Amino acid sequence: MMEIKHDQDQLVKLQFIKPAFMKLALIAFFTPLMISACGDSSSSNQIHNKIDYTKNYPPNNGGTLIDAMTGEPSGLIAMIAGESAASAIAGNIFNSLLRYDKNLELTGELVESWDVSNDQKTITFHLKPNLKWADDQPLTSDDVLFTWQKVTDEKTRTPYGSDFKLVTKAETPDANTFRVTYAAPYAPALDTWAGLHILPKHLLKDQDINTTAFARNPVGSHYYKLEKWKNGQFLKLTRNENATQGQAKIGNLLSRIIPDKAAQFLELSADNIDSMGLNPIQYARIFPARPDLNKNIALYKELGNSYTYLGFNLKRKPFDDIRVRQAINYAINKQEIIDGVLLGLGEPVASPYKPGTRWSNPELKPYPYDPNKAKALLKAAGYEDHDGDGILDKDGKPFTFEILTNQNKEREMTGVLIQRRLNEIGIKANIRVLEWASFLGRFIKPKEFDVVLLGWSLSLDPDQYSIWHSSQQAPGQFNFISYSNQRVDKLLEAGRLELNPDKRMKIYHEFSKILLEDSPIVFLSAGYGLTAIHKRVRGISNPAPPAGIGHNTYEWYIPSAYARNEMSEH
Amino acid sequence: MRKLFSNPLVLIGFIIIASILLLAIIAPLIAPSDPDAIDVKAILLSPTSQHLMGTDGLGRDVFSRMLYGARISLMVGFVAVGIATAIGIVLGAIAGFYRGWVDTLIMRIVDVMLSIPTFFLILAVIAFLTPSIWNIMIVIGLTSWMGVTRLVRAEFLSLRNREFVLAAQALGAKDGRLIFTHLLPNSLTPIIVSSILGIASAVLIESGLSFLGLGVQAPQASWGNILTDGKEYIQFAWWLSLFPGLAILITVLGYNLLGDGLREAYNPRSSQH
Repeated sequence: MMEIKHDQDQLVKLQFIKPAFMKLALIAFFTPLMISACGDSSSSNQIHNKIDYTKNYPPNNGGTLIDAMTGEPSGLIAMIAGESAASAIAGNIFNSLLRYDKNLELTGELVESWDVSNDQKTITFHLKPNLKWADDQPLTSDDVLFTWQKVTDEKTRTPYGSDFKLVTKAETPDANTFRVTYAAPYAPALDTWAGLHILPKHLLKDQDINTTAFARNPVGSHYYKLEKWKNGQFLKLTRNENATQGQAKIGNLLSRIIPDKAAQFLELSADNIDSMGLNPIQYARIFPARPDLNKNIALYKELGNSYTYLGFNLKRKPFDDIRVRQAINYAINKQEIIDGVLLGLGEPVASPYKPGTRWSNPELKPYPYDPNKAKALLKAAGYEDHDGDGILDKDGKPFTFEILTNQNKEREMTGVLIQRRLNEIGIKANIRVLEWASFLGRFIKPKEFDVVLLGWSLSLDPDQYSIWHSSQQAPGQFNFISYSNQRVDKLLEAGRLELNPDKRMKIYHEFSKILLEDSPIVFLSAGYGLTAIHKRVRGISNPAPPAGIGHNTYEWYIPSAYARNEMSEH
Repeated sequence: MRKLFSNPLVLIGFIIIASILLLAIIAPLIAPSDPDAIDVKAILLSPTSQHLMGTDGLGRDVFSRMLYGARISLMVGFVAVGIATAIGIVLGAIAGFYRGWVDTLIMRIVDVMLSIPTFFLILAVIAFLTPSIWNIMIVIGLTSWMGVTRLVRAEFLSLRNREFVLAAQALGAKDGRLIFTHLLPNSLTPIIVSSILGIASAVLIESGLSFLGLGVQAPQASWGNILTDGKEYIQFAWWLSLFPGLAILITVLGYNLLGDGLREAYNPRSSQH
């Protein structure tokens, strides 16, 4: 699966990104400090505006697709970078053993076939014959073994090691066979292999993978290879002649780094980029008012596999009290957030799974907005306004706390709405907006927070052991809200071992039910991924299949009649 | 006073500042609604008689937010400049009165501080603090005292050897008395002028910081963060950028007119008056 990269919208990301690597990625949005200059709206746009983009042309090769990304990758080894900007670009350069097809079924990418042993503990992968790296070296099972060794190496600084450490034995019987053995059946196993980018041993074996220059000068096996990376400006990918999956139609992918969404939009309007992820305002308010844009640009909307939530630090009082958590859940009007912040472009969520998928329990409904019930629960927990100052108190202490979130317009607006609703029932919440890196480093990892407003972006496999299991609370691990529930622990353990999809579904439905009742987080909403793509780009599946429009980007093409004149500065 | 207001620009500046101050003070009386009242059914409405300056992305009344924002912006200006002026007077007085190595030391510190661009210094300091209106005031105050220090020192140096000072000294006046009853009152004019100009730049700095998300925090309104909110919608909701932008412009202009006018009026070398 080739990927395109719109990294601001949590929602757009999912479908385009190798799922396992996106699993558990905390969603960061990058909001710029300065409006970046966006001057060079070239004189060619007047000409483009007159072109009729409705004619049909047969597929052809060549052309350049220009898109915009908000953040610059720190490197292109996805397991080290661990961020969406890196995964998005690296997904065009590196292959995994398996991939998800357009219906989200697992299929081979580097492998022709795979066998699972009868006891479900051993998986044997059969690589396709004669695979080659972009530098003409053969790609063999040795490279796969090497990649596994690296991702499980204690010295490798990757958040994705734990899944692969469950492999007790990895071996390469011959150059085209790779076999892994698990101590116990591990249901998410294949999903994890669909997310691990296979790296070239011959270039990395003597290198420190954390710091290697290879991260900025990668050699892969997928449709594209990196041609040029200009710091802070763009990354240009060009077709890889040795691509293991055949040849993509579009000749070059140019990803321009434009931190500001408003500036990206101006570039899109000026026809300097072909594609970007839109925010709800751009999608719902600006586009309808601009027929000139609608003529040339097509919009796509799809529900992402991610959600926004308000999470409590369960180690801190009073959030250890279930009545307080439920009260806050009742006090928040989720529909108001969907209408006001997402402009209706979102769905309510009641479980940590994408609404409408098999893992999402259809019987669960979000806590309704009910301030009276909230007040009653708080009263039962001992919170009343004894001193008459409008703020609830208990033992002489007023009920006040801080909501932490990262710099992102939608997050901040959501925070303000929540703050207002809590204020109405007598809880004083302050909002603190932080830059992403210090947010993670100073507050999330050391667990120094009362309440966080954040998002989770999830993999296709329902396993969420690392987010909810009580063993995953060490600093830097994903259960930073310190959730601990024995029944949930048991269900999560069982879910990893259960291979029958129907039984697995029941396990995760039960898990979701307990989670909703326990209310360790308040599920807020799942937003739609909103993408704008210029109509010169053809071959996009519409309507989008379950895997999203990004599933077949290698089949997209730009008719030569519509190709833009290559900009000289690139 | 008459001489002062004979300059029409000073009069204009004075009227601007006075009316903005008045609006800020009586904000609760004239604001049509609670500045934080959210109405998701009325988001991004253009200006009408009901919402004089339209509504923002959460349906809040921009006019009310502008009025309350004025309080923040002006308060930041006054407090920050108050801090800066106090520091400047103390250090400038010490340097100008005692001269010698104390003077050299203080003036070198001033030079060092001046060599760092103020805005970036403030950004760096704010990064280590919780952004809040009080921190902003203190940080702006602590980073903009250098101009006042230089002014006070220069005044003191020139006044120090005037006959009336020497006479007071000959009569046995102590240092404190010399500074507070003779030197300082005679240096007040330039201090006032520079303070007024300083308020203008403090208002601008506060707006800039809030625009960058490092100043006044949501949901509290300040002109800078109303402007930031508007940035996102600038293509179709012009009122969100125009009004706070104009407010900042007019306020800063007002202070500058007033400050410049005062300087002209009291400048003995000025030929006009």
